[in-house]
Amino acid sequence: MKIFVDRSKCQNHGLCAISAPANFELDTDGELQYHESFDEEHVDDIEDAIDSCPLQAILLSRDAA
Amino acid sequence: MTGGAPLIGIVGSGIAGLRAANALLKCKVDARIVIFGDEDHRTYNRPGLTKKRYPLSDPTEPTDATDSLETTIAEDLKVNGVENTALTWRLDTRVETADLRDKVLRLSTGETFAYDSLVIAAGVRPRTSVEGDNDCELHTHRTLRGLDDAQYIHNELQTSRKVTIVGAGFIACELASLAKEYGCEVVMLETLRHGPFESILGRRISVALGRWVTQNGVTFLTGDSAKELLCDRAAVPARDTNDPDAPDPRPSPDRSLFIEAIGSVPNVEWLHGNGLDLSDGVRVDEYMRVSGFSDVFAAGDIARYPDPWRTANLTRMEFWKNAIDTGDLAGRSVASSLGYDSRTSRIGYFPSTATEFFGLRIQIAGNPKTSDSMEIVRGDLDRPDHGVLVKFLREDVLVGAAYLDKGARFNSLYIELLKSLKAH
Repeated sequence: MKIFVDRSKCQNHGLCAISAPANFELDTDGELQYHESFDEEHVDDIEDAIDSCPLQAILLSRDAA
Repeated sequence: MTGGAPLIGIVGSGIAGLRAANALLKCKVDARIVIFGDEDHRTYNRPGLTKKRYPLSDPTEPTDATDSLETTIAEDLKVNGVENTALTWRLDTRVETADLRDKVLRLSTGETFAYDSLVIAAGVRPRTSVEGDNDCELHTHRTLRGLDDAQYIHNELQTSRKVTIVGAGFIACELASLAKEYGCEVVMLETLRHGPFESILGRRISVALGRWVTQNGVTFLTGDSAKELLCDRAAVPARDTNDPDAPDPRPSPDRSLFIEAIGSVPNVEWLHGNGLDLSDGVRVDEYMRVSGFSDVFAAGDIARYPDPWRTANLTRMEFWKNAIDTGDLAGRSVASSLGYDSRTSRIGYFPSTATEFFGLRIQIAGNPKTSDSMEIVRGDLDRPDHGVLVKFLREDVLVGAAYLDKGARFNSLYIELLKSLKAH
């Protein structure tokens, strides 16, 4: 499973960076940066980030690496 | 129950209702789940209604411009889970009354619906100063709650020259920002407060935000000067009084859009007569159960539950994540009440929300409303776009935080602050 952020939806609100700071962060310009892959221990945080997004821009894709 | 799979009625097709249904499916509950919605749309991403500008329809395209914008918005705001074939949708159907003792709903179609378990997720509707959606001679009056409202308003803003917005909350500010992006002249009227979000963030920040809105070209009026421009819709356009079915007269060329965004009212009227506490939404316990009825639950904007942050207080929140968390929990509680082994745990919601207008991101967490003092940790309220980080304290204990910035200079500091806020 990999994280995918739909950039056409994302408005850099940054709620994902609060839910799952290990994978999401806003850079100093306020643009979202994220790591696609995540550890199993962070899966609850990632789900919380997906739910929190007010633009619903975060997806998990099942595509193998 | 007449034997067989129980019938679960969910009143409200917003995200709280959908998440309650999904939680039931996740618990593998053998039940028929019916979702009632008075809009003609399955669940969509409601916060997205005002969060982003849509490109102008291409006038050289042969398709109907309005149609294509409507489709673009609807597509953009789709949420996962709505296509699940295990759910039955009764859209464009209002639940008129509920008899919680006999477990029967009466529908706008004239039918009745007998349930075994009920989830109340009927949400809220916009507060208005005058009943009805009538237009007057000067204005086209609208509020914004649903997808249809948003489709209409985006379309209007793309073609309007002027818009007046009453209120200075999340929706009002996001709409003002959108309207400017679409090229409208924007007037905002806030009659009660000094600026945006005063009831949450206090007067100092509110005044600074008012300045920010003004600097971005909005005519932002408060107090008496705002009151003078309110519209009581008394100036009714001439219409054919002999023919009640006659369409509205064509708007005069200078008639402009007038949007009220002055808060909301819980949709509880259909629940009257059941002895529930409906004083501010529907009162539930920390598992989203409605007291007195073992088969009735509530979730989302309408649910008023014990504040996990301040014992002895009740809270009702109108945020996306709150609807998700309370919806999930209500679904798990229904499963548990039907004898399924589901992971119910009392609500432990951490309030956190964000908005953006005129490029300024505003993040708010915890419960600043309950604070008795604030402290600016970084930045200067005269330059919110350069970053301002604020702590809210109650009896010297951290109860909330807010972070305003155009970039994200203090974002990691804000997240650190939230960690200590969560830990308390």
